Amino acid sequence: MSTETRHGAVFPSPTVASPPAPGAYVSQGSQFVGLYWRELLRTFRNPWVLVITIVQPFMWLAFFGSSFANVPLSDLDALLHTQIQSYTQFLLPGVLSTSMLTIGMFGSMSTIQDKRFGFMKRILITPTSKATVYLTKALGSATRGLVQIPVMIVAALAFGVRFDGDPLLWAGWILGLVFLGFGFSCFFLAVTASSTDWQTPGVISNFITMPLMFASGALFPASNFPTWMQYIAKFNPVSYSALFGRGIVVQGTADWLYLGYLALFALIMLVAGTLVASRYLKIE
Amino acid sequence: MVEYAIQADGLTKSYGALTAVDHVDMRVPDGGIFGLLGPNGAGKTTIIKVLTGLSDITSGEASVAGFNVRTEPMRVKERIGWVAAEVILDDDFTAWENLWLQAKLQRLTDWKPRALELLRYFNLEDRRKDKVQTYSTGMRKKLEIALALLHQPRVIFMDEPTIGLDPGTRRMLWELITGVNREYGITILLTSHYIEEADALCGQISIIDHGKFVASGAPSELKSRVKADFIELETTEAVDEARLKAIPGVSEVRSQGKAWILRVASAEEVLPRIFQSLKTDGIRRINVEKPSLETVFLDLTGKRIDQAGSEIRDYRKFYASVRRARG
Repeated sequence: MSTETRHGAVFPSPTVASPPAPGAYVSQGSQFVGLYWRELLRTFRNPWVLVITIVQPFMWLAFFGSSFANVPLSDLDALLHTQIQSYTQFLLPGVLSTSMLTIGMFGSMSTIQDKRFGFMKRILITPTSKATVYLTKALGSATRGLVQIPVMIVAALAFGVRFDGDPLLWAGWILGLVFLGFGFSCFFLAVTASSTDWQTPGVISNFITMPLMFASGALFPASNFPTWMQYIAKFNPVSYSALFGRGIVVQGTADWLYLGYLALFALIMLVAGTLVASRYLKIE
Repeated sequence: MVEYAIQADGLTKSYGALTAVDHVDMRVPDGGIFGLLGPNGAGKTTIIKVLTGLSDITSGEASVAGFNVRTEPMRVKERIGWVAAEVILDDDFTAWENLWLQAKLQRLTDWKPRALELLRYFNLEDRRKDKVQTYSTGMRKKLEIALALLHQPRVIFMDEPTIGLDPGTRRMLWELITGVNREYGITILLTSHYIEEADALCGQISIIDHGKFVASGAPSELKSRVKADFIELETTEAVDEARLKAIPGVSEVRSQGKAWILRVASAEEVLPRIFQSLKTDGIRRINVEKPSLETVFLDLTGKRIDQAGSEIRDYRKFYASVRRARG
């Protein structure tokens, strides 16, 4: 930066992190850190956001998980085609997977809030690209979703589920949930990129959650489904995450191919979403 | 060749069929305060949006702080600051956190000494660890200006900086704006629909109406251009235009609602003749205006600034007014 274009020598002068290259591009690292940190602070300073994030999957585990408490285990094993300790154990990976469907909604809502309160203009009047704004929102959403994982595992322990197995498998399970949550956050933010209506994220959430939750292996095995639902389940990333997690939690084995599918899903959503958002993200 | 802080040639911005900014030419030299004066919906905010790279330019060229807005918007954004009409801050964050974020967005590293100096300058230093939601409107506005100054911009854009503020806070902000301009040597472009604000602050003014510049110059120069006084007149009985026109010294007659506006060479000479001519009709109200920016606007557009504002061109404001009207 040449000195003659910067004014105000009376006061101490800050310096820019790296000298700008000529042309249109400005590196985005610093802006990325700033905006991602802003997302985290906004989330974790507002305890209600966390409560809402955690309550819903907890309710599923508590109420839906308990609904077969008096059914003999042998009957459940026959229905679910596996050997389980309890339905709660079977359900835990599925509930965590389906709850990743909705976390993108919060990132979407915070983006719409920024548009409506003018903060998007404050950001984009600095050398920050729309892609950076988009990525920090998606990552912020996914991070918020991760909070559910330890809470749900503790809750499952409280309901009497016993865990064992390799820490590497567990790390893989959590990574799979991260991919799923990040992928759906990217999806949500891309489809609401041009929206300024508070209601849009809720509508989209309702629209995708129900079919993707039931047409997956999250609550029951897909082999019990009619053919058309099995077809949806086959392409549904929630299925991959639920099956991957169930393998680890129930059988203690991992099919790493599922993790590969989830990584691919996250990557496709990331690339497509970034392209959409850098073009269609509205400023107000 | 002189390099201007802001330069625009044939700058045009259209939203569909609506041309919000229509072939505007601008030359703003470094270090001054430049004002865009015009009614609501005249295109002032749109000019700021295209000059700051927030909106795309439809046609024409513009450069700000030495860089082309169209081809190098990021270079422009590194060199400009912005103060919004509505205060836009992270309310849940402290002043210091707001400054931290601004530093990150502008990629600054050793920004803390300057941030402290700015907080001291704006008398916010001991409140820097308080959340912004506990601040008064004046303090929030000051913090916003501090954010705009943090990265030492060459140009600051201020959109209606004192809209909706009480007179005391407005006067304090006027002092701050001239202070910032003088001490930091920063070029300021501000928009306003307050005539006295543009008159008090700006060295140069462009009057804008329907997206076009209708006049530009120093306030005193603009005022001296109107070699006429205006008399606004309302009578109890109906009076026809021809009768008013017949009064010697009246050069133009316009109707404005129930009132007439007469353009006269000298109000002192014409007033006795008006009383003479209209003595039987009953004068309800009479108002004399000597040359001011208000009469400049009146002379150029045939409207008053606040009346022109009621011809709403911005559809969002239009719908908002419809909603208000429905209660």
